[in-house]
Amino acid sequence: MNRQRVLAGGAGTLLVVLALVPLVVNTYYLALGISLLYFAVLASAWAQFSGATRYISLATVAFFGVGAYTVGVLGESLPWPLVLAVAAVIGVTLALVVGLSTLRLSGIYFVIFSFGLSELIRQLVTWYEVNIHKSVGRYIFIEISQAQIYWQLLALAALVLLTGWLIGRSRLGLALRVIGEDEVVARHAGIDTTKAKLTMFAISSLFMTLTGAVLAPRWTYIDPTIAFNPMLSFEVVIMALFGGAGALFGPILGVIPFVLLFELLSANFPNYFSILLGLVFMVIVYALPHGVIGLVQARLPKTPPRPVPPRPVEVRAAGARLEISGLRKSFGGLVAVDNVTFDVAPGQIAGLIGPNGSGKTTVLNLISGALPADAGAVLCDGQAITGLGAHRIARLGIARTFQLVRVLEGLTVVENVAVGLTFRRDPLPGAEVEVVARGLLTRVGLADKADQTAAQFTYIDQKRLELARALALDPRVLLLDEWLAGLNRAELEQGIALIRSLREAGLTIILVEHVMDAIRSLCDRCIVMNAGMKIADGTPAAVLADREVLRAYLGEADA
Amino acid sequence: MLVVDIVLTGLIIGGIYSLIALGLTLQYGVARIMNLSYGEFLVAAALIAFSLYTGMALSPLIGILIVVPTAFALNWLVFELLLTPLVRRARHRDMLEVDSILATFGMLFVIQGVALIIFGGQYFSYSYLSIPVSVLGSALAVNRLVALAFATVIGIAIYLALTRTRTGTAIRAVAVDPVSAQLVAIDVRRASAFAYALGGALVAAAGVLVSMFLTFHASMGVEFTMKALIVVIMGGVGNMLGALVAGFLLGIGETAVARLLDPGLTLAATYALFLAVLLIRPTGLFGRSTH
Repeated sequence: MNRQRVLAGGAGTLLVVLALVPLVVNTYYLALGISLLYFAVLASAWAQFSGATRYISLATVAFFGVGAYTVGVLGESLPWPLVLAVAAVIGVTLALVVGLSTLRLSGIYFVIFSFGLSELIRQLVTWYEVNIHKSVGRYIFIEISQAQIYWQLLALAALVLLTGWLIGRSRLGLALRVIGEDEVVARHAGIDTTKAKLTMFAISSLFMTLTGAVLAPRWTYIDPTIAFNPMLSFEVVIMALFGGAGALFGPILGVIPFVLLFELLSANFPNYFSILLGLVFMVIVYALPHGVIGLVQARLPKTPPRPVPPRPVEVRAAGARLEISGLRKSFGGLVAVDNVTFDVAPGQIAGLIGPNGSGKTTVLNLISGALPADAGAVLCDGQAITGLGAHRIARLGIARTFQLVRVLEGLTVVENVAVGLTFRRDPLPGAEVEVVARGLLTRVGLADKADQTAAQFTYIDQKRLELARALALDPRVLLLDEWLAGLNRAELEQGIALIRSLREAGLTIILVEHVMDAIRSLCDRCIVMNAGMKIADGTPAAVLADREVLRAYLGEADA
Repeated sequence: MLVVDIVLTGLIIGGIYSLIALGLTLQYGVARIMNLSYGEFLVAAALIAFSLYTGMALSPLIGILIVVPTAFALNWLVFELLLTPLVRRARHRDMLEVDSILATFGMLFVIQGVALIIFGGQYFSYSYLSIPVSVLGSALAVNRLVALAFATVIGIAIYLALTRTRTGTAIRAVAVDPVSAQLVAIDVRRASAFAYALGGALVAAAGVLVSMFLTFHASMGVEFTMKALIVVIMGGVGNMLGALVAGFLLGIGETAVARLLDPGLTLAATYALFLAVLLIRPTGLFGRSTH
């Protein structure tokens, strides 16, 4: 608490000092201060969305320009606060429309889309101005002094950092980090990824729009090439990445040297500006992939974690009944799951077995909502869950692990588990999260490794961690996709004992598995699949003696 | 005959777009490099063709023989020296994509800056084979027809090389799965470098062809990069036939908007078309949905 109060006091003092700057400096330094501030707001706002989620957006200038143009059009007819409010509404509306339609695009598609969006808006505004307004540019005559612009930007900068700090400590902040690490895991850990991304995109865009609006009176004349200059989007990206997009103050560490550099380059080498800028950019990409803040953080002494006594957590679950009927899924011409029907009773372990490519993992993907089914229904305790998003299915208490292990390497081990505790149906209050997370880690045998990073983990430990994350959802049904594969003899025995103890706790479990020993000793019954269809259903002993099952596994001749 | 006009002009532009997109498919689909400076190489080739023609009276059809091998060598060097460190560093594909976007973005400014210093910011065009001929009742300049013929020949040659030769098969294997390709003794790094360089050679060829009939300037590279990306993504990444069809679609669509609506709206129409395709079919018109 004390440290926080000191920090808050320091930030307040700094704010007052910065607010006094326009009273003492000349116009040159005031202009420089304005440049520093507006880039600080833009880069911080950009990093709060793109740094966390790793959706690289090149649409900064689209929002900035929309803000500036709102002032250009309405600046003289409405009072100033109302102009800002209108700009904010337009910016957020645009962000929501764009976000809703594009945030499901990933990687490269999103980058290109965001760039295309800025260009599209610029083209449309240009066309409108030329053909309807009959003049490319607009004059802005608003009585606002440079000092007033400075103060407004300073307020925006303080607000954007405060927002970032609050989000960093909130559920939204954790959700965004998990999305940046692995969006599939995020969805299966109960995170409504669309909502999280959209919220952050809108907040970030709001700040960008307001920056454009506040800054517009600085130019007395604007036209689309000034307001929608694509260079701005890129400059913001460079600054944020150079400083470090993952930390609150990182982008500002990039803004300061770059604004000074731009100033120096454009004053002394105006003809070589873009070459030098490009070279600096490349040097950053090669030499400083984690930004300045990465260097700083790497040198800082690490504070040792507070020792929290591990307390094993009782896993008590009311296992649910799972009813699957007529499930079907095809990929193009290939029918991966064809009319599969089976029930799993509460507290039962059902093995889902079959040769490779028979559709077992697809069945798990259909149950957990990773893929939409073409036909059929999945009922969990009588409630239809087909068609629900993966995060809603996870919140209903259907947890899963992945065939190819997916741990969140950028998060601590405790945080990996905390994700499930935070986003499940009845989220734990913040204070209890760490204790329970450590308890669950103890439960799966990771008590002494809770403070390591998951990136150093061995294969079995990664699998344990995945299981702890699944258990954190307080599940009623657990879907294990080859959780025992690749373990050695001793690990296998531990793993089998662990799964058995989960059944004893009451969980319903579906086990996709190839390890026959595990199937024999764990499963109450087995469903055998081949070529997308269910070919046998019964006790392990019965199905493993079935002629058709043998034929599926071993081929015609051996059966 | 407005319709014939639009279709013919659109086909010629579309043919060039397809050629540009084919090069980008090679760079992005095989070498996994998202090259934002791609269009700068086109503009550089156009500027060089211009200087060869006006300065040394060298026909662009001979110029192409100089420009293309140079571009191939230069791009090979770029891949080996600048991009290989990023490939080595990348832990997974997404990381390489982001890194390559950022690095080639820096490259964009360097190339553009150099071009601006040498050539300045004005518009360039030259008159070569601009003799009108009548095709199906509409007048076309010979240089456009020559450009289309060249683009077609180069496109077919590349297609055959990729589908009928050992190297071509290796390149396609790397495009599908770089990890498995190693298992059948394909030198993935060499195949990637080759594909990247070939992509650079194709875009340089397109630059020379474009210079014969378009007015261009040193800072219009981004426009071509965007169009190439639009065609590649619309056609489905890694799908050569898709890129071909999408290229022609874009060319005809653009020409139609320019003729029927307003020339000022062509770029807007392009982006609108592209955004619409992305939203409806994120994997492209002919892209296969992944599991």
